[in-house]
Amino acid sequence: MSLNRIILKNFFRNIRNYGLYIFALVFSVSLYFSFVLMSKDDSAAEELSSSTMMSSGFLIGSILLVVIIVTFVMFANSIFLKRRNTELALFQLIGLNRNKVFRILLQENAIIYFGSLIIGILFGFLLSRILLMVLLRIMQIELSVGLSFSTEAVLQTAGLFIAIFLLLLIQNFIFLKRTKLIDMITLNRTNESDSRRLGFGTVLMGIVGISMVAGGYYLSTLLLDYIEMAVPLVFTVLVVVVIGTYITFKFSIAFVLNVIRKSKKGHVGITDVLSLTSIMFKMKSNSFLLSMISIISALSVGLMSLSYITYYSAGSSVENTMPYDYVFEDAEGLDFYESLLTEEGIEYETIQLPSLEYEADTDGAISADLELMDINGSTLLMMVVSEAYFDSVDVGENETIITGTSDVMQSFVDYGLNEPVTFVSGDYKHSLELVDIQDRAILPSQISFGSPAAIVDEAVYQQLADNQSEEARTAEMTRTYALDIAGEDSMEIFKMMDQEENPYFQSKIEQYTVQMQALGMTMFIIAFVGLSFLLTSGCILYFKQVGESEDERGSYNVLRKLGFSEREIIKGLSIKMAITFGIPLLIGLLHAYFAVNAGWFIFGTEMWTPMLTVMGVYTALYSLFAIMSLLYYKRIVRESLN
Amino acid sequence: MILEAKGIKKSYGNRFNRTEVLKGIDLEIEKGEFVSIMGASGSGKTTLLNVLSSIDRVSSGHIFIEGEDITAMKDKKLANFRKNDLGFIFQQYNLLDTLTVKENILLPLSIRNMKEDEVEKQFDVVSNELDIHELSEKYPNEISGGQQQRTSAARAFVHQPKIIFADEPTGALDSKSASNLLNKLKQMNTNSRSTIMMVTHDATAASYSSRVIFLKDGLVYSTLRKGDRPQEDFYKEIMSTQSVLGGVGVES
Repeated sequence: MSLNRIILKNFFRNIRNYGLYIFALVFSVSLYFSFVLMSKDDSAAEELSSSTMMSSGFLIGSILLVVIIVTFVMFANSIFLKRRNTELALFQLIGLNRNKVFRILLQENAIIYFGSLIIGILFGFLLSRILLMVLLRIMQIELSVGLSFSTEAVLQTAGLFIAIFLLLLIQNFIFLKRTKLIDMITLNRTNESDSRRLGFGTVLMGIVGISMVAGGYYLSTLLLDYIEMAVPLVFTVLVVVVIGTYITFKFSIAFVLNVIRKSKKGHVGITDVLSLTSIMFKMKSNSFLLSMISIISALSVGLMSLSYITYYSAGSSVENTMPYDYVFEDAEGLDFYESLLTEEGIEYETIQLPSLEYEADTDGAISADLELMDINGSTLLMMVVSEAYFDSVDVGENETIITGTSDVMQSFVDYGLNEPVTFVSGDYKHSLELVDIQDRAILPSQISFGSPAAIVDEAVYQQLADNQSEEARTAEMTRTYALDIAGEDSMEIFKMMDQEENPYFQSKIEQYTVQMQALGMTMFIIAFVGLSFLLTSGCILYFKQVGESEDERGSYNVLRKLGFSEREIIKGLSIKMAITFGIPLLIGLLHAYFAVNAGWFIFGTEMWTPMLTVMGVYTALYSLFAIMSLLYYKRIVRESLN
Repeated sequence: MILEAKGIKKSYGNRFNRTEVLKGIDLEIEKGEFVSIMGASGSGKTTLLNVLSSIDRVSSGHIFIEGEDITAMKDKKLANFRKNDLGFIFQQYNLLDTLTVKENILLPLSIRNMKEDEVEKQFDVVSNELDIHELSEKYPNEISGGQQQRTSAARAFVHQPKIIFADEPTGALDSKSASNLLNKLKQMNTNSRSTIMMVTHDATAASYSSRVIFLKDGLVYSTLRKGDRPQEDFYKEIMSTQSVLGGVGVES
């Protein structure tokens, strides 16, 4: 019987133990392959080429993916190596030198690795079809997804994974070189506990960690007020929070657990044995891992929330800048399309809306942070329209309604209800009471240029128009020519109107589609990367739990011999799972909340619904891994008495 | 003389916090001897075994096995040396669960070029001697602790090494399996003239050997030889020495 045969046999009988590792590999390969395949898909590429972000988005996404995958695979490999310590030690004891052991590892790795590569590519192919359908759906492109296979994508994936394979070989080599035989034999019994005394230093560091995180949160809320220092501020917040998180895990949590443990004075119950002491025992390696996972979760939840906010708000933000289906530059444009639509038999409604450009004093109802906006003087540019054009609006002679206050504007400008708004033109002044504020715009942005518009009484409008100073009188420029299609507008109408020789116009449906495509792309990539983050960090935690459960098998045996029931042990382990999975998730979500809170208004009009949706989905998926770990524990506990 | 150790020192820790476990041990072992090392917990007996068996490196001193200094050997030569000249038995059996008893035993032979029938013959000899021949197709988790330890012993003997190192081989066994194993070891020691070096804290186990070395605080405290006495007398002398040493003696 040759050594090779023994190794092969050993490998195949062990395949269940390698299951995890193989899963990690197959998973990474299919993730990457499907991603690459999508970016190379011909049928989709044509449609997608309208979004210019496509290629660069995919590039950034794939770089991030590579980073995650490399970390993930190397982590899995290191767990894998540790689990096989005794075996590797035994091989050396019977007289294999390190080079031979290394060669054995190499052979095994090669089998696992290239096997997984092939399976992963097949899986990835299926996965990419599904993902592509999702992507096209998000981007609202109607296209049937074909089954095109790209050799280039296969080569690219294979290339990457061969590179990772070499990295793993280096990792194995270093592991074998570094670990002495004596350590290998005793490695399973290492104590990772940070058995430092609850000294002044730990307490101090514990407090420092928590206050650093809190300080970072506080700074993030200041972002809005010191927008001119945004870049250094964001950077500071990031550094403070990241370091703070690590210190929190390393000291604060250990400190809190220690206090709890001390308070028991040695009377530890079953739940403590399985949760508290077990977590503390492995705290050293836990603290780094858990803070990593918190930060990764925060990053992905934050990014996904922001991009979903953008996507979610896309409709309303188009609505805010384009109140009408089609907007034209001048009367001729409007005429041209009116006749065109009549010819085609499409019903429509025309809008001709005059407006005035006025300045409004920034006192009374309007308080603006003018320094930030870089505006000279103490006035704010505002459009004025008459109520006569709006059936649903009714304002009194001394009243006005301000509309089109986008969220970005609102963060610089505050409006006080029931306070006077003073319109100024030269020496002429006219004050009205502000009775209502509406986000929705009534003027297209090509007229208002993002300024808010005030609705006033028809008589007041006339007065304002008559008293407008000479230089501001550009009536033709401030008249809106627009039309609304009766019923639903559609891309067919748009395409019919959008001919090269036709006059220029803006279309709501076009803007909406363009936005959807660009945002859909961004969101898809971020969601993809975010989910990969989620899955990999979940897997890492799961692997770690699997490793720990193997280590603790003996204690379960002892506990059950002492008379504790399976259920009691599982209860203690559930608490352990809740802590190891819950704390990083909680901290991650908290980080993400403050990050989103600090900057969401730049991205969209609605924060809570999209953010909570993302957080909910993330938490649900993440919990799956906790449940999976618990099930694994359950099996180990059940088997422990045999 | 098969093994000679001169001035063995071993210390752990860093520059600032050093603990010296072995403080200068000299010892000589003749071919065919069955030597036990005894001592209280922390006296350094396992460390001594690890160092002598090349699992761990010495801090200073030299170890000669058949005149060759193993402390100066490179990894490759050391591996070769382990392959040909050493056998190991551990307290925790250290069998591979994925291989059958037979495969486990033949593992050391699988890395050398031996003829199939020769391997088979060698297997028959050790497995019969250790009474595990009929278990050969079973997996480690299907047999008892005593049988597992005998499998592990068979693995240590199968390539006819010059020295066998055993670290508390009876530590995890009940007294019946323990005496069974020790009888087998002794039998193989006399039959095949192989040298055995065993660490134990159990006076009964030690009484099977021909010489007992007592360690105290990292130094050789005394040596007892069995000579032609019956085992019971030897056992009594070990017990009395152990009680003079203090510590763990009384428990067994």
